[in-house]
Order: sequence, then structure tokens, then C-alpha cells
Amino acid sequence: MPVNTDALWYKDAIIYQVHVRTFHDSNGDGIGDFQGLEQKLDYLHELGVSAIWLMPFFPSPLRDDGYDIADYNAVHSSYGTLEDFHKFLDSAHQRGIRVIIELVLNHTSDQHPWFQEAQSSQNNPRRDWYVWSDTEIRYQAARIIFLDTEKSNWAWDPISKSFYWHRFFSHQPDLNYDNPAVREQMWNVMKFWLEMGVDGFRLDAVPYLVEREGTNCENLPETHHILKELRRKADEQFPGRMLLAEANQWPADLRPYFGDGDEFHMAFHFPLMPRMFMGLKLEDRKPITEILHQTPEIPPSCQWSLFLRNHDELTLEMVTDIERDYMYDMYAESKMMRLNLGIRRRLAPLLNNDRRRIELMNGMLMSLPGTPIIYYGDEIGMGDNISLGDRNGVRTPMQWSGGWNSGFSVAEPERLCAPLIQDPVYGYPAVNVLSQKESEHSLLHWMQRIIAIRRSTGAFSRGSIDFLYPANHRILAYLRQLGRETVLVVNNLSSTAQAVELDLRPYKGNILIEMFGNNIFPRVGDLPYLLTLGPYQFFWFRLRRV
Amino acid sequence: MTLDGRSAVTSLVSPRRAGGIHTELKLEDETFLTDDFLRQLINVGEVDILVGLPTHNNAKTIRSIVQTIQSGILQAFPRERAVIINADGGSRDGTPELVTGISIDDVRPTSNLYALRTLHSISTKYGSTPATGVALRTILAAADLLRAKACIVMFPESATIESEWVSKLVRPIYRDGFDLVTPTYRRHKSEGLLLTNLLYPMIRALYGVRIREPYTAEFGFSGRLGSHFLNQNGWNDGTSGAGVELRFTLAAITGGYRICQSFLGEKERVERRGADLVPALRQTVGPLFSALESDFPVWSLVTGSQPVPTTGNGPEVLLEPMRVNRKRLREMFSNGVAELNSVFQLILSPSTLAELQRIAPLGEDEFRYPAELWVRTVYEFAASFQKSVISRDHTIQALAPLFRGRALTFLIENRNASAKEVEDNIEGLCLEFERLKPYLLQMWKSRE
Repeated sequence: MPVNTDALWYKDAIIYQVHVRTFHDSNGDGIGDFQGLEQKLDYLHELGVSAIWLMPFFPSPLRDDGYDIADYNAVHSSYGTLEDFHKFLDSAHQRGIRVIIELVLNHTSDQHPWFQEAQSSQNNPRRDWYVWSDTEIRYQAARIIFLDTEKSNWAWDPISKSFYWHRFFSHQPDLNYDNPAVREQMWNVMKFWLEMGVDGFRLDAVPYLVEREGTNCENLPETHHILKELRRKADEQFPGRMLLAEANQWPADLRPYFGDGDEFHMAFHFPLMPRMFMGLKLEDRKPITEILHQTPEIPPSCQWSLFLRNHDELTLEMVTDIERDYMYDMYAESKMMRLNLGIRRRLAPLLNNDRRRIELMNGMLMSLPGTPIIYYGDEIGMGDNISLGDRNGVRTPMQWSGGWNSGFSVAEPERLCAPLIQDPVYGYPAVNVLSQKESEHSLLHWMQRIIAIRRSTGAFSRGSIDFLYPANHRILAYLRQLGRETVLVVNNLSSTAQAVELDLRPYKGNILIEMFGNNIFPRVGDLPYLLTLGPYQFFWFRLRRV
Repeated sequence: MTLDGRSAVTSLVSPRRAGGIHTELKLEDETFLTDDFLRQLINVGEVDILVGLPTHNNAKTIRSIVQTIQSGILQAFPRERAVIINADGGSRDGTPELVTGISIDDVRPTSNLYALRTLHSISTKYGSTPATGVALRTILAAADLLRAKACIVMFPESATIESEWVSKLVRPIYRDGFDLVTPTYRRHKSEGLLLTNLLYPMIRALYGVRIREPYTAEFGFSGRLGSHFLNQNGWNDGTSGAGVELRFTLAAITGGYRICQSFLGEKERVERRGADLVPALRQTVGPLFSALESDFPVWSLVTGSQPVPTTGNGPEVLLEPMRVNRKRLREMFSNGVAELNSVFQLILSPSTLAELQRIAPLGEDEFRYPAELWVRTVYEFAASFQKSVISRDHTIQALAPLFRGRALTFLIENRNASAKEVEDNIEGLCLEFERLKPYLLQMWKSRE
């Protein structure tokens, strides 16, 4: 089926990940809400964001920050009402901003009525909506994901006196996707929100939907079958909507989630992210080019989703042991910074608040193949609070100003949903939107600029990539090409100035136009093209034949 | 295993040294690194570890050697920035291309090693003929430019290079702050006789430092020691840096740098070509005698000797039977004493010469070149070298037949010796060198 160009909006998107709870509080109760988020849409519009990804906002006991859903068809009362959500959605659409919501397909909260019914009796009609067992010995080949808190994927239910299956926290029982009624119900959930107008779903923890004995219970064909069925229904009834897969897997295992363009539209490229940090610390492009070399081609209608940081820990599941050790030593010297197999820190602290490195990493985020996702607050260089448990240290309130509660809420500080960052370097008096708006050279303004430049050409969002391999391994250089448009990207991963010779002979006769300043650089000739770059500097050049 | 008398006494000195000396090559200070090599160095950038690999027509073995080195780097220093630098003396068998063409990916499938970083292997041809000094100077210059913290040099003549050698030579520098790491080996008692009978005991006695292998094909050094040596004079003395490894060791001693030894295990050569003793003496004893003049303020004040820290075992001695042509050694000694009598009259004291003439005609059963006489001989040669009573090169050449006599004595005395007894005999000779040091000082001062 020919692809409608508009249907590929997600390829050109700049996605902003936000938690309603911590973004802006409109009613002074100390908790962010949809009305507050709506009030900040102009800010996101000015930043250049074209899509918002909302973390779970459903009714929930909030034992996993909303990823433990107790009702799929409502809004958590702290965040507002369905009407508030609808109004926010309309306002976002009026600004050309699409809305992607999170949906946790794999499991519910143990407070969800479905589970409470299921555990109430062995004969309850919803009993088979979850995965039960009399013993703990089934599916032993499945790994435990939350190593720091869980000892088994089975938990004992004292009410029905049997074990239930959970891949994540024990209070998050997995749904039984072998049950057609579950599959039908979850499609109804998706339909509910699609009918309301949401533009897509970020589907959480999709590799784990189905369990089979003798397997690791991840990425099973049956799981793909279920996902394809959901995609088929979405395409038929709601064309132009997008499905984004959260599957923390190696590239080769991720590829099936795109199917033949008939499963997910997008998937996070989890293995790339830690390697960008690794490449920066090693001052060597090898980790980045190596993983992208291993990344398979995906169908033309599909797109990778790239990110530097998000609401979770910087996951180190998709790295080798030697790489993980290196990352821990380089980026998490304190044990408090480590969680599960990852590092629970924000972008700016990870990079020692070094503006050059923050810019370089964002430059790569915006220029490598995929749709970039910016985690809220990273556009102003927000810090984290590692003394908060779990991943809450990177989920603190947005810092809008240096005033009362950082402009997040008018509530008493004790009532805030999470403590504000107050340290001298990253605290809200030092790092906030208002002050950065007033400073021409702030990170916020720089982010606005780079987003605008990224959006000025389709080469970044839809173009091919060809790596140049200059002998200087500290330089990561590639060409992005779409039709007659070619962009050359040259990144210096080193803390010192570097010289590099690029083989641009196929582009002989072109001049290079530096895209930030629109300055002309010398014409490409027969000789290697010599560039010098300052520490962590990067160039984006538009190639033009004149 | 067979070994004739000639190769027995020179087996310390590799074919590389024996055959690879070209004195006609001159260096230009400012331009001895080519533009192409500089370009490669720019691409490599600052490194933590540098492995220098001088080559000349080593195509048969270079592949496995480079892979072994790569493995050694990845095993012990996976996080460090490392480079292998090949300084080639005009190979015609494609050695440099092999070095640069070997990928770490060739090693990985069999070794399960993983490279975090890019591991560069670069190469430069410094001339059309091999010259150890030029090769080492090239490596030192590269290390200086790349600000290498720890460097090792490995000559690809060794058939038994192990990946662990990288760690054993680098770690004391990189982790423990030493400046020079010399190896110790497991050698046959008949191997390295020039070392055990002259270089080791004499350097020990004069400089006060017990370095068992002061002249070796594998060694490690810190960046600061490399820079110190690079900036010393003597590179343009017309000898292409002959004996540069020995001068390097002496520079470390006199400069007060921290020195240690590291046991590498068994040492074997790729091939055992008959090596000529005279070039070996020129490359080792010549530089040593030469250094005594400039180093006099240092060694003249030294009394006794101190061991240097050693990791792993000390030197080990292998004892399996080995055929040595003793008759030929003895003939070369006695013929030398007779033929060079007029030369020896200029070099040696009358009493020493008389004693040599007394033992020269003795049959093998009675023949012995005693330690005291040998030490006096060497010291008188050293003093004569300084006085330049004859050309210095002739002085060195004249030592050759006498050394053969001493080597024969060593072989006879240790024919049935245990490893400990061999070591005790070497130690006894060392003590003799130390005991007679005042004799050398006396001659030296009388010269002035």
C-alpha cells in the first residue's frame, strides 16, 4: 500500500517527553496537571517541539510512577479530568503539536479491578486474564529485569493461593495475552484514546506480552502476531496514527518489531544511547559506528527513535560487560547513581554540566538517523537528585523560574509531588526557563536554534546516512542525503582540538555551507578536505554545487 | 640442539644486531619523521600506551606478533588509548603493509576479546636499510609527540612473544610509576654469554644497579624517560644509533629514573643464524666503554650494587644438553693471543698479557681463564679505549678472541652445573667485577 506522506509525520517530529505530574501545576495542589501542561504549550511550540510524549497519566496507586495502571480509560484525579485532557489535546493540535500517550500493555497494577477480580476466585471469569501457576518453576529461562528489587518473576497471591507472573515489580501482574478477551479489551483501550484524537502510543514493555516454556519469554513470534493485529486495526480505523515500541533489545532483535512495515512505526534505539556517552568519554567514534553498523535496515515507512536521556535510568542492558563496567566507572562513580543495570542521572550532570559536551550530544541526537526525543528539562540543563529513591531523582519538577517553587506550583513546598532541585549548580535559582529566555546564549536558545536547523531539511529526518571513516578516530563524520540535498556532519568527540582530512571526492566541486552561521567554506577538490575542530565542536554543512 | 662455539658466545646478540648495522646512514634532526608519518600520528592523537615495533623483512612472523600484541593490549588495558607503531627499515616483503592491515577483528573471534576503542597500527619507513638506532629514535619521537605514558619496544625476532608480555612490560610503568622495565628470561645456560660474562657484571659493578638484561629486544619505558633520551646528544654520531638500547639503559641509570625488571618467560629466537661476535661487541661493549667517559662523575662515586625490584621470577637457567664446539673456541682464543700480541702490548698491562700468554697454549683439560684475570682484562681494555692508544674500533675487535677464551671457561665450569650453581658462578664473577673496580678507577685517574 503506498504510504501517504502525511502519515509519516513521526519521521519529521521533534518529540518532547513530559510527565504531567512534574511539568506545571495549575491548581496549587503541588502536583502537575493537564491544565498546567496546556498553559505551557506555547513554550514547547517556541522550542520547536512538534510532538509531546506523555508518560502515564491514568488512575494508579503510583507505586511505579503511573506505570502501574488501575484504570485505562480515565485520567488520574491529581492530573485533572478527561475533559481537561481533551482540552489539552485540542490546544496542542491547534499549535501543530501532536500528542503521543503512553500505554502499558504488558501489565496492570495489582489494584486494577481486573486483577482484583482475577484473584478473588479460581472460577472468576477474569481469572484467566492474568498468568497463574501453582509453582514458581515455570518460565525459568526468563531473566529478572528489576534485579535490585525482585528475586523472582513469580509472586505469591495469598488470596487465591497461587503464584502470578510479573516481569517487572511484583505489584504489576502481567496480562495473559493468550486470552482473546484480553487482546480484545486492550484494543478497546487503544480505540478509546484514538477516538479522542491522540496521535500515537508509546507502547511500554512490548517484548514480554507472551510467555512460552523453554524460552526467555521475550520477542516471541506470538507477541509479534498480537502487535501486528493491533497495528492492523489502528491502520484500518485510525490511519495516520503512530505506534512506538519500547523494546530494550539488541538491534537485530529489534528489527522484527518493524515487521514489513506492518508492526511498529517507530522503536527506540536503546543500544545506541549508551554508546554515544561511551564514544564521548573514550573520545572514539568506534562504539557509535559499530552499533550503527550492526543496525539493520528498516522498512521505508519506519523510523528509529533516538534519545539521550529519559525518565528511566540510562540503561546498560544492551552493552557488553566490559562496556558496562566502563560506563559505571566513568558516569556513576557513586553507587547511589546506579540502579538495576543502569545509571539514574540526567543529561547535564552526566556531562559534568559541560556546555560543549551537552551541545555535541544534542548535535548528534539531532543529526543521526531517527526521530529525536528530548526529555523535559534537558533543554535547560536541569540536574538530578540522586538522594531520591528509584528513578525519582530524574523526575523532579520542571524549573520555570527562580521564584516560588521554581514557578512549578504555588503550593507550599512541603506539598510538592517531588522535591525541587536546590543545589548551587543545578538548583532552580541557577537553572530555569525564565533566566535562559533572557540570555541570548543560553542552552535553551541554543536548543531552539538547533531544532530549527534540524527541521529546515528533510535530510536529517528522512535521509540516508553514509559514514566517512577518516583516519582520526576522534572524528565522527557522516553524510545525510535526501534527494539532491546533502548534509555533511562532522563531530569532534575529543576534549582537544583535532585536525581531520575527509575524503569528499565524490562531492568535488561542491561548496560547504555551515548551517548555523550560513558561512561558506572552501570548495571540495581532489585533495582530502582538511578541517580543524575545537574541543567537542561539531559542524553541519549543507553541500551545494554552484 | 646444536651450537658451535662462535654462535654460543654471541647468541645473546641477535641476527638483527649482528647483521643490521649500517653506519653510513645519516639523520637530519628536524626532518627525520616524514609528512606521511606525521599525518598518521595526528590521526592517532594522544595515547596512553605505545608499542614500538622495529622491523625489516619480518613478513613471515609479523602477523602473529602484531595479533599477539593486540591481544595483550586488549587483555590488560582495554580502556587505554593504545597504538602500535612500526618503524620499518626498508622491508621488501610487505612487512609494513601486513602490520597496518591486521585488524583487531582478526583476533577477536578466537580470543573473545573486545576492543572498547580504536586500536591503531601505523607504519613508517625510516630508510632503505635497517638501523636499530634510527628505528628507536623514530619510535621515541612518536611517543614524545603522542605524549605516550607507557611505551614498549618489541623486536619481532622473538619466536615466543606472548600476549602477557605487554602487561608485564607496561604495567610497572603505567600503574606503578617505574620508568624503565627490562626483562628477565628463562634462558639456556649457554645463551647470552656476553651478558653474563661482561655486560651484566660490569654495568652492575660500575653503575651499582643489578640489571640482568641491560641490552634486550624487549623493554618498556615511561614517556618521560623516552623524552629525556630523545633529547640527548649522540643521535647523529654516524653510527645510526648502534647500541642504542644499551645507551638507553645507561641513560635511565644515570638520570636517576626508576628501574625494575619483569620476568617474561622463555626466550627463543626465530632462527639461529651464526652471528659474528665483533659486530656484537661493537654494539654493546663499544657503547658501554664509550659511555664510561661521560658517565665518570656517576660511576666513579658508586660502591657496591643494589638489586632492582623484580616482578615474577628472576632469571631462570635451562640445563638441557647442548653441543658446543669448545675446540674451536680454544683455538680462536690461542690464535688471537698470538696474532694480536703487538696490539695487546698497547692495551694490556704486562702482567695481564703474560698471564694470557701462559694460558693460551693450555689444552682443554687445563685451560681456564680465571675470573680475576678476565675482569682485569676487561678493565684494561676499558681504560685503553678511553686513552685511544689505538683506534677504538680496533680495541673492541681485539677483545673478541679473549672473550671467546672466557666464554669457553664459563662453559667448562658450568658443564655439569645445576641452575643454582650457574647462578652462583655468575654472581661470583659479578662480585669480582665489583671487587676490582678500584683497579679501573686507578687506571682512569692515572690517565688524567
